[in-house]
Amino acid sequence: MDRGSLPLIYFFIITLVFAYFFIYGLIGWNALLSFSRSLGLKIAFEISGFEQYLKMIHDPVFWVSIRNNLILISVFIPACIALGLFLAILLDITGGRGEAFFGRLYLLPFSLSFVVTASMWAWMYNYVYGVINTILSILNLNIRVNWLGNPDIALYSIVIVLLWQFSGYACLVILAGIKSIPESQFHAARIDGASTFQVYSRIVLPQIKFWIFSIFVVLMVFALKAFDLIYVLTNGGPGVSTYVLALLMYRRGFFETDFQYGAALANILYVLVMAIVVPYLLITLRKR
Amino acid sequence: MNKDKISRREALSTTAKIAIGAGAAIAIAGGVATYFATRAPLVIERVITVEKPVERPKANLLEIYHWWTSGGEAAAINALVEVFSKRYPDVGVIQSPVAGGAGYVLKAVMKAMVAAGEAPDSFQLHAGYEMKPYLDANYLEPIDDLWRNQGWEAVFPDVVKDMVRWGGHYYAVPVNIHRANVLWYNKKILDQHGIDPATLDTWDGFFVAAEKLRREGLQYPIAMGGIGKWEIAHALEQILLSQGVDFYQDLINGKLTDPNDSRLVNALNIFRRYLEYVNPDYASLTWDQAVARVIRGEAAFNIMGDWANGEFLVAGKNYGVDYGSLPVPGTRGVYMLVVDCFQKPRGAKHPENSEKWLIVVGSKEGQDAFNPIKGSIPARLDADITKYGPYQRSAIEDFKNAKYMAPSIVHGSGAPEKFASAFNDISSAFATNRDVSAAARSIINAIQAAKAEYIKEWKLVK
Repeated sequence: MDRGSLPLIYFFIITLVFAYFFIYGLIGWNALLSFSRSLGLKIAFEISGFEQYLKMIHDPVFWVSIRNNLILISVFIPACIALGLFLAILLDITGGRGEAFFGRLYLLPFSLSFVVTASMWAWMYNYVYGVINTILSILNLNIRVNWLGNPDIALYSIVIVLLWQFSGYACLVILAGIKSIPESQFHAARIDGASTFQVYSRIVLPQIKFWIFSIFVVLMVFALKAFDLIYVLTNGGPGVSTYVLALLMYRRGFFETDFQYGAALANILYVLVMAIVVPYLLITLRKR
Repeated sequence: MNKDKISRREALSTTAKIAIGAGAAIAIAGGVATYFATRAPLVIERVITVEKPVERPKANLLEIYHWWTSGGEAAAINALVEVFSKRYPDVGVIQSPVAGGAGYVLKAVMKAMVAAGEAPDSFQLHAGYEMKPYLDANYLEPIDDLWRNQGWEAVFPDVVKDMVRWGGHYYAVPVNIHRANVLWYNKKILDQHGIDPATLDTWDGFFVAAEKLRREGLQYPIAMGGIGKWEIAHALEQILLSQGVDFYQDLINGKLTDPNDSRLVNALNIFRRYLEYVNPDYASLTWDQAVARVIRGEAAFNIMGDWANGEFLVAGKNYGVDYGSLPVPGTRGVYMLVVDCFQKPRGAKHPENSEKWLIVVGSKEGQDAFNPIKGSIPARLDADITKYGPYQRSAIEDFKNAKYMAPSIVHGSGAPEKFASAFNDISSAFATNRDVSAAARSIINAIQAAKAEYIKEWKLVK
């Protein structure tokens, strides 16, 4: 062994201790907790098999939360990518200063904290005074939407807020993808007489697939983990109509002092996130 | 789409930028570190030494956690700490307030701290079932001796004592009482429309008044909040109480089994009617924003605990002139209790100081210092009535003459946490779907689901 590898070994050990203990060790502990009996605040483990997981089957709010997480994934993510793609193409066509200015403008919401976003939108959504309903009434549309108070609409109101916050990010990543395509291909297409629509649908889209896929994975993880925004905006209400897994985990763990059940919910969340991240990593590694 | 190679000059400037950035980051981090190393202890010192700002007490400390962070609340706890410091000048007090309405944040923080063996010397807690998780895990010490020595058994009412007594032992000392079943009204509006508050004693009378107000132009005479869900549950809880104390006793003892129970169905029907007069934007309002509507005259009524009185006072309104209060219809003679208490956690770092603190918390002097500012009334029956404002005086009268007292579910006392948590969701769902039979079924199911946790038999009716 030569001397140069010594720092590497140190680095490896430090990584092992910190990353593996504080991340994987605690994930393991959480798994152990989820297989033990509910004992409130007592620090003890009594292995009880799948008791906590069976509890989920009989917990109606669990199914509502799963459904809501699925809605977030199936509505929010495609909409966000579509919007991001649209904005990115607009920016690319604009080019120059406009591109730089608007690119940054669209990205601004992404830099805000979820709590700030949620408080602001809660005011905008207010049934009586909110700016959105005020605009609707100015337009003489004669409809007042109960954005956060109607259980059929509330979740989609949350989707709109998420779109506002994340589409700028999607736009930026897709724009970077478009920029990575060699200029010569655009010139060639122009010489061949391709229209703008053809350029983007035939040349750009096929080449930025992987960029879109990476956004998809990031947003998927966000949609599964969504907590603070929903906690502030609706707190799971009205009723239980906007509960998601992360919120349910917090309520069951900290408010009903059932940490073991909370841990089981956390594990489900973990498995779901891993089910998305692991294939992504495998594909990424295979590509190299 | 510029693909030029980065020139040397540009690379240099990039390096320079990184260097400047790193320098700035180090400067900021260093500044913050220096601040905490030098200035921060001074800040703590100021909190510790209430009496003597120069001498810094060494190890003789008392550390307490609470959620009283708003202006008036902080002033109230400071008054209580002042009484403590006068009596025990050698003990330095560290207050660790955790912001978050009704203790929603502190509850989560404290569970984690206690379980990690980092319990403070005492912390704020709602009396009743909110104590159960700590008791189950044996984190609280019985303080029967204190109760005997201090003569507390004679001065606290029975139901209040019962709220801090588990398995025959006392585990906490109540510091204050808030009343939950209060109907606040804008007196000017009622006068304008010729409504006599005396007619609001029954739900029928109340709805006649609400309908009259609506006919005469006030579309939504009742203001309600709901952004945290508990504001809705709070109103439903008072309506359930209006169906009789024996019914409420069955409810909190987990004795209800029939979703067709006429009293349960009645209560939900009343709530459904009540909701027809409620502002449709309740889901985006906090409780104090709802009270503000009554203050501004945009609504006439609001059901909220008597902490709402502070909002009227801050707005410069006079009790009995601009606004007034009544027990929620059908609950006259009943006092729905919201009780904060302090206790002695097992493994507290300064157990003697913890007991000293509890002595002050339970003392007449301490309670009469804290409560006039907080807006609540003392949990003791021997309060010095001259120190209190007009609303509190009437509340103290009502408290002393109450026929029944009942612990609140929504505010953590009456029923197991699991039921209370479900009750919030059920109330919030009912407010949107107004489905009486579904809500009745959900309430019964929630009781069944928490069956194992009903470990206390409340005796509200003798």
